[in-house]
Amino acid sequence: MKPKVAFFDFTSCEGCQLEVLNFEQEVLQLLNLLEIVNFRELMTERSDDYDIAIIDGAISTDADVARIKEIRERASILITIGACSSLGGVNCLKNAYPMEEVLSVVYGDAAGYYNTIPARPVSAVVPVDYALPQCPVNKAEFLEVVKALLLGKKPEIPNYPVCAECKMAENACVFDLGRTCLGPVTRAGCNALCVTWGRHCWGCRGLVDDPNVDAATDVLKEHGLTAEDIVNKFRIYTAWTGGSE
Amino acid sequence: MEMHLTPQASIHLPRLAELVRAEDITRVERVYEFKLADGAELGHRPGQFVEVSLFGIGEAPISISSSPTKRGTFEIAVRAVGNVTNALQKLEVGSTVGIRGPFGNGFPVEEFKNKDLLIVAGGIGLFPVRSLINFVRDNRAHVNRLIIVFGCRRPEERLFCDELATWSQCEQTEFLETVDTCDESWTGNVGVVTSLFPKIDIDAEDTYAVVVGPPVMYRFVVNECLKKGIPEDQIVLSLERRMKCGVGKCGHCQMDGSYVCQDGPVYTYSVLKQMKEAI
Amino acid sequence: MEDKVISKADFSSMVDRLIQEGEYDSIEGVKTKDGKYFFGSLTNSGELCLDYDVTLLPPKKYFLPQRETVITFRQGERPAPEPVAEASSVVLIGVHPYDLKAMELCEAVYSAPPADPNLMIRKSKTVVIGVDCLNPNPQSFSASMGFATTESGYDLMLTDIGDSYVVSVGTDRGADLLARYGRAADATATNLARRDEVREMSLGRYEKSLSMPADEIPAILNETWDSRVFAEKSEVCLSCGSCVMVCPTCVCFDVEDTVALSLDSGERYRKWDSCMLTDFAKVATGENFREDRESRFRHRMHRKGKYLLERYDKPGCVGCGRCGLACLVDIALPADTYNLLKEAS
Repeated sequence: MKPKVAFFDFTSCEGCQLEVLNFEQEVLQLLNLLEIVNFRELMTERSDDYDIAIIDGAISTDADVARIKEIRERASILITIGACSSLGGVNCLKNAYPMEEVLSVVYGDAAGYYNTIPARPVSAVVPVDYALPQCPVNKAEFLEVVKALLLGKKPEIPNYPVCAECKMAENACVFDLGRTCLGPVTRAGCNALCVTWGRHCWGCRGLVDDPNVDAATDVLKEHGLTAEDIVNKFRIYTAWTGGSE
Repeated sequence: MEMHLTPQASIHLPRLAELVRAEDITRVERVYEFKLADGAELGHRPGQFVEVSLFGIGEAPISISSSPTKRGTFEIAVRAVGNVTNALQKLEVGSTVGIRGPFGNGFPVEEFKNKDLLIVAGGIGLFPVRSLINFVRDNRAHVNRLIIVFGCRRPEERLFCDELATWSQCEQTEFLETVDTCDESWTGNVGVVTSLFPKIDIDAEDTYAVVVGPPVMYRFVVNECLKKGIPEDQIVLSLERRMKCGVGKCGHCQMDGSYVCQDGPVYTYSVLKQMKEAI
Repeated sequence: MEDKVISKADFSSMVDRLIQEGEYDSIEGVKTKDGKYFFGSLTNSGELCLDYDVTLLPPKKYFLPQRETVITFRQGERPAPEPVAEASSVVLIGVHPYDLKAMELCEAVYSAPPADPNLMIRKSKTVVIGVDCLNPNPQSFSASMGFATTESGYDLMLTDIGDSYVVSVGTDRGADLLARYGRAADATATNLARRDEVREMSLGRYEKSLSMPADEIPAILNETWDSRVFAEKSEVCLSCGSCVMVCPTCVCFDVEDTVALSLDSGERYRKWDSCMLTDFAKVATGENFREDRESRFRHRMHRKGKYLLERYDKPGCVGCGRCGLACLVDIALPADTYNLLKEAS
């Protein structure tokens, strides 16, 4: 019997769901292996009977907390896709301000009708089986994880910095080109996509397990960033520091 | 352009083997018996290991647990801790796996000839030495005394209980056993494996000690062996490392300058004490 | 073998003919991007840069690719594994002496029994045209390693003497290629004197050097295992693996399986791995035999300076300086560490 898969979105741009919908070649094969029972961007039918829950978006309201807990209870495997659900992502930038202020900036006079809490990754609320950070989710990695789960294998998420993959891709180092980059502490798995395409690493896959943040900070300073610049650079994707369940 | 090589030519190509028997040893450890598909003998020495492939899952180094005297098939015993060992647990009899090897040096069995053999196994360290124990028991004249010391954490973690019973009842085998902790139903020795050493009386000059267990055990047991006067080059240890390729190429198992997959996994203490990363 | 001389214009024509005639699957040479150099496929001789300092990655990638399928199999009851070696015929142009020496080490590792055929097949199908390194990069100490020039490892070796190249012929295969594609003449005594002169001049351009003869490195490492140098240098190590990924003598790999989305077939591939990454020596039970930065850093320095040399009788570091250029925290260059250890010992 095919495993039943449900997609759920929380606070996000929904780019990760669109990215998954972009599986043109693979989508039919995927549907041979999985039964998709819930996918708001794709279908109107809904079901509460599923084995695997795939989550995008951060948790940022009290309702989100209740909803993710309910999903966790129903799903035997819970996977987060993208930076928001896996790391908290850019949503957590608001956490530096009082929630009332955040509400009034966004909703103005209507602020009283809305609820918000400091944004957090799914793992801060319920246990997550596999987290696939990246903004948006990496399609190739998503497919590898799906295949691994179908085979009963624990998916391998790299635990080394982007630099390793960037060197293998034979990119000129961003620092040598006079710019700065978070590659030295950011978890690999993207094949140094942004540097390969002429940009720098923004840190959207979060930090490796044992990052040498002090050394990386010194490197950024040597390359002209102020302490404030550095904090801001790190905060884009890793503002959440509250740990996980 | 893709070239297909002759099978002999690839260091990565496994031979196929069929799972003919699988049995639980404990809740997390299981013994698997394989038969090579081409009918050949594995041709191993006690203390060697094989790389076991589950296609699509991966490969893992696993020590061979049966004696070379057992013909036609061979056994491995494993604790389910990784992708391959977890998938092995779900494997049905009749399934096909890949086998590369045997790899490594194995125990220096020839040197044990006409000597006394003291085998010290901690926990799943019993898996590789079981090959040696059963080899010696099938060639009982090869060594003089055979002394087996086995320790594990709790009585329910004892391994190959039937064989432990056979060894303890055999007149030609001296068998001592201990557990670290237990309830009152256990009537045997309680304490770490070194707590049995005062009970062992040996002619040290004529004894080879074979020690296999978790890394933390080695220093203590080697000390006891040295205290008893066993020469350093007669204390033999088998080490665990990440033996990924098995053929001295991939670099993962390197310890000092030694490739554990080829130069080891068996080393004498006289060699190991020169190494900084060994124990 | 005899030395030849070829004008730069004629050498360019030779490269263009090699590209056009298609006898070889590809003609690879040193090109430029973002002010850096790399080995890549040539579409015309104008792309070729032979006066470069160093390439981002060494030409090792042609023999030991970043990722390579080693077996294919089917899923299910009859896995039928088959070995795979992808190999094409290549003319590789512009390899520096230190990279040729590094390739000799890679070959020694992969040809040691049991030999790995994949690397050896590729090596046999590649014609290598070297070029002397006259503009070493600021981190290079290959002169100290004795590898400013080389007498082996190439089919042809070029030395830029101004308007032309002196061509040292290393093999019959090289002689044959030159005879068929190039308009070369016998080198004159003046040509050879000029070659010796430019080589001599290049020695003065190395900014890094060992403070001891290279053959003393193993003894120094033997005496300094517990030296504070390892702890001090590695404190800022990012464990990013860059030093290893750009190294021409690093040959370690990891092996993984992947399956098709149909789940009916799959492949096992190997990909570059690095002993400087946190989990390199971690086993399935969770034990990590080189858990801290210091032990990984020390291991790399010993592997480069001692282990490979003792095992294969060839230096594990050729002094190319790539690691020093790649390391953001400036700790990776072996010469710097060996010099500090020498001072301390």
